[in-house]
Amino acid sequence: MKCDCDELGRRLTDLRDGALGESDCAAIERHLDECASCGALRKDLEDLARLCRESARPRMPLAVRRRIEEALK
Amino acid sequence: MTGPSAEEPRALLFRALDEQGDRLYAFALRMTRDPDLAADAVQEAFVSALRKFDAFRGESNISTWLHRIVYTKTIDLIRQRGKESPLPEGEEGNFGPDDERLARTPAWARPPDEILWGSQTKEALEAAIRQLTPLQRAVFTLREVDGMSTDEVASVLGMEPGTVRVHLHRSRLRLRALLSDHFKGGVRP
Repeated sequence: MKCDCDELGRRLTDLRDGALGESDCAAIERHLDECASCGALRKDLEDLARLCRESARPRMPLAVRRRIEEALK
Repeated sequence: MTGPSAEEPRALLFRALDEQGDRLYAFALRMTRDPDLAADAVQEAFVSALRKFDAFRGESNISTWLHRIVYTKTIDLIRQRGKESPLPEGEEGNFGPDDERLARTPAWARPPDEILWGSQTKEALEAAIRQLTPLQRAVFTLREVDGMSTDEVASVLGMEPGTVRVHLHRSRLRLRALLSDHFKGGVRP
């Protein structure tokens, strides 16, 4: 596969998800090594993923839990 | 007295409420952006799950099943509220020129780590997620925030894994673009 910036812009999530074959992965990694702007795109998306993992998850308020428990009885 | 066959669904749903309640509520809150609607969606989902528990037979994962019901309830509530279209036109499962344009958004300027990972950035992320379409919010929240696998997200939303990846990628690019203003003033890589 030939990998240009547009192709890479479409395939980064496939790459991260392990949804690409070996030769496609290699072509994308080669392009990432050579292209600074695509490398920056990957870095931003990695930072975004880390931000999400570290975000606090809102907890269900106790009153809501009690309402649901009552509804299930 | 309730017999064992009637008690089993209740017991399973009470356990799911203990184990999955916070996840389901957090998902509903991100979808509806309204604590009252989120509470209603989760409550209605549990009541609906109890009523239709037979439909769960054969499902491998009660969490996936409950997330699917909560998703449906939130979409119904969003539609009833009428403030946004649940599935706007143009939200295809294929990439187009808009996606390529988004991918060319300039890279984030790099602020110091304490700003990059600080509370204001997390608030900016929440505000940006609220600007996604409901479908993008669902895909992104389930995959990136909740940590579900792509296959699980596909099962919750009733779509192919490849389509989930298209919507996930589009939402990641949009969030990156939406957050670029927040990082303005940092140092470009």
